[in-house]
Amino acid sequence: MHWIDGIVQGVLLGGLYAQYALGMALMFGVMKIVNVTHGDLVVLLALIGISLANFAGLGPWAVLATLVPIGAALGWLLQRALLNRVVGNDPLPSLIATFGLSIALQNAMLVIWSADTRSLSGGGIQQASISLGPIFIGVLPLIVLICATLLTGGLDLTMRRTRFGRSLRAASADVEAAAMVGVNPRNVYAAATAIAVGILGFAATFQAMRSTVAPADGPFQLIYAFEAVIIGGLGSIWGAFAGAMILGISQAIGFRISPGFGILAGHLVFLAVLAIRPQGIFQRKS
Amino acid sequence: MSKYRVARMTLSGQLALVLFTAALVGICAMPWWASQGLIRDVVTLACYIAVAQMWNMLAGYGGVVSVGQQAFVGVAAYAMFVLAQTFGVNPFLAVFLSLIAPAILAVPIYGLLHRLEGAYFAIGTWVVAEALRLVATNMSMLNGGAGMSLRVMTQFSAHERAVASSLLAAALLLVTLGGSYLLLRSRYGIALTAMRDNPVAAASQGVDVGRLRLLIFIATAVGTGFAGAVYFMAQLRITPPSAFDASWANLAIFIVMVGGIGSLEGVIIGAVIYFFADRWFGEYGASYLIVLGLLTLVCALYFRGGIWGLWSKWVEAPWFPTRRRLIRLDGDKA
Repeated sequence: MHWIDGIVQGVLLGGLYAQYALGMALMFGVMKIVNVTHGDLVVLLALIGISLANFAGLGPWAVLATLVPIGAALGWLLQRALLNRVVGNDPLPSLIATFGLSIALQNAMLVIWSADTRSLSGGGIQQASISLGPIFIGVLPLIVLICATLLTGGLDLTMRRTRFGRSLRAASADVEAAAMVGVNPRNVYAAATAIAVGILGFAATFQAMRSTVAPADGPFQLIYAFEAVIIGGLGSIWGAFAGAMILGISQAIGFRISPGFGILAGHLVFLAVLAIRPQGIFQRKS
Repeated sequence: MSKYRVARMTLSGQLALVLFTAALVGICAMPWWASQGLIRDVVTLACYIAVAQMWNMLAGYGGVVSVGQQAFVGVAAYAMFVLAQTFGVNPFLAVFLSLIAPAILAVPIYGLLHRLEGAYFAIGTWVVAEALRLVATNMSMLNGGAGMSLRVMTQFSAHERAVASSLLAAALLLVTLGGSYLLLRSRYGIALTAMRDNPVAAASQGVDVGRLRLLIFIATAVGTGFAGAVYFMAQLRITPPSAFDASWANLAIFIVMVGGIGSLEGVIIGAVIYFFADRWFGEYGASYLIVLGLLTLVCALYFRGGIWGLWSKWVEAPWFPTRRRLIRLDGDKA
């Protein structure tokens, strides 16, 4: 029962990681770039949300409704002002540029919000749980998981069914050919990053409600998102979701083996997947 | 008789070589002319130059971007502490023996991570460094999160330690800068430069890109580890967060991007700038790091060649010339 509980809690934790991972999978799928500020943006949005709650008296759902458009705007701006200049075959410029921005962002947040850990009050929802026999399931983690599933399904449908999704896939497959048939890659890229960071608005709200955030946390969220994407298989939206579940379960079981082993267990599973199935668990060999 | 010859050395290069040699001799002789504080500063600066130059070889020439070089800093430093403190090996010998650890570790790391595409490789190195930090935190042999002290150093006098630090700093510079220069002048250097400019074209000319990348990854792991062992020997104390500190990657990337990627001169310029910036503005903490991060960003966006790249546009006087030039011999009628 101890282990079943671990798996259940891991799946719930995976719901949060899926929200980190979706945007990264989308951006890498479309542009082949990694935005090193990915995790710092989660923290930035979360801190903005906590300040909104404190000073404007917003409730958690109002914070969520505000953070998603703020995230989308930040993503659009990031792509327009910075990333569009460094998209290309060479991975170095985009990586270094966002790496530098990540250091600047972390320290700017440190100046504004100090190093304290903060969290967002959920109005009692954090303590609520439902019991399935001997296993207790938190209501909030369940909401996070449902939200992650809906976001994944929605993003997947958008990619497969809509005109916008087609232009994203076209730009991803061959950007020059896509440009020839009337897709403006810069707009498509900006929209992709806006969606990616907009989803981080969900992740930020739930992260701040479930646990705490501090300005230096970003690199960890980046690493979890990255591990989920690689475990699941590059470029696949549902793969990233499944990868996040596997990462969450690995960490939850690791924590039950020894408190110092939880995060490390996630890293080890990631390395094991690289060793055994480098294309990711849910990706067929191309 | 050939009408042409290939020239590599320039006057500026010869001058720089003389200065470089003089600097190394000066560093070796530090215990007899410099204060304790100056020796410590020079050792720190040498470590910065070494770590940055290793990242430069990796990213600037090998085309392999890593943000997890602190993995090798920490592994070599911990290996040195264990050899010297736990097994009683002479600490100065332990510095060199400890370099086996990053060399051995680099092979499986590269083997696993090279399956990832460019930018993902870089984040993968970060995961490895994080994993190693957590392993060190959980290992009772390394005294876990509490860290270790190099108490065996008390058997040496202050003067003996100063001599060792100075010699190690000089050796570190000789190996990382001198070694890189010799490598770049050799036929491997031509292969590396070709690979930097275009890996596909280099492969079509017979360069074994995969093998060369593995070799450069191992070599830079050893060089980075050397810097780590020297740095933490001077610190006398090590903990997992300090050994596997991401700021090693930050400083390497800042130094190389601001100084100028793909050049040895840029690394020296960048390291000196970083060293003094850290000294003068380090007290401003966060705001200073904001500027550092933004400078890295601006260099990556607008000044890909950094300071040395800008300077070279005006003055062509390389300190470490690697370019081969064809010179027509005098007296020939063409």
